[in-house]
Amino acid sequence: MNLPSPETLLYALLVITAILIAIIVVRPSITVSATGKMLAFVSFCVLPVLCGSMAASTHIERSKQTKFCLSCHIMEPYGKSLYVDDPSYIPAAHFQNHRVPPDEACYTCHTDYGLYGGVRAKLGGLRHIYIQYFGTPPRPEDIQLYKPYNNRECLHCHAGARSFETNAVHTAIRDQLTSNEMSCISSGCHDSVHNVKDQSKAKFWTPGQ
Amino acid sequence: MKEIQIERALRISGLLLILGIVVEIISLLWEKPLAFLLFVGVGGALTFLGIVLYLYSLLPPTHEAASQPPPKIS
Repeated sequence: MNLPSPETLLYALLVITAILIAIIVVRPSITVSATGKMLAFVSFCVLPVLCGSMAASTHIERSKQTKFCLSCHIMEPYGKSLYVDDPSYIPAAHFQNHRVPPDEACYTCHTDYGLYGGVRAKLGGLRHIYIQYFGTPPRPEDIQLYKPYNNRECLHCHAGARSFETNAVHTAIRDQLTSNEMSCISSGCHDSVHNVKDQSKAKFWTPGQ
Repeated sequence: MKEIQIERALRISGLLLILGIVVEIISLLWEKPLAFLLFVGVGGALTFLGIVLYLYSLLPPTHEAASQPPPKIS
């Protein structure tokens, strides 16, 4: 037996809440009795708060999806860069080989793994929406990170991994990498990232081929 | 008179909450970044107003409390 998905349950809860509220709106006299008062409290207070919390959680989970990030026109070249047919392109290699979950590719690398990293990412997202609709959005090739990419985001997965730990270069500069003294992506080692400017020259991989 | 006022507050609060729920459903069906703003800005505001109005309707009217005679001290 297939259980209903959390989203289906949320829709059901929203509809049930609306029906209960509608009953009290049509016949407010039922709130005279103690049972009616309890029903009103649950329908007007408990259920709307529960529905709101569940809906907020659904929205937040949805905003982690790759397709959500790429739904903004300005992000299209970045989405396209995930299909570059060149293993030296770090995002493409990670995405195509499922080193990051393909459904949450942007979120996995662009959310910092520090405390409140997720909250900071959401606030950044709200800022992007503001700039998109009320400001002047930059050209895709002019988009830059707010601050230099933190090695912590790479080491979150790579630290401890055999291929990383047995690499003599990584071992020799381990402290500089951990302290961000030397950047993984801008010190000349893994510097092919999205490279949106040079995209016209790139070859692309088509899934299934 | 008091009951009519409470019923009126319940009706308005209920309509605000139903509108809030409708907006929340629309925002969940609309899978775009703007949907989150719709959810927080409109759905959240309507739901919050509905709940506050309902809780406010539960408070006893202040003029009735003031018009009651003070308790006798013997």
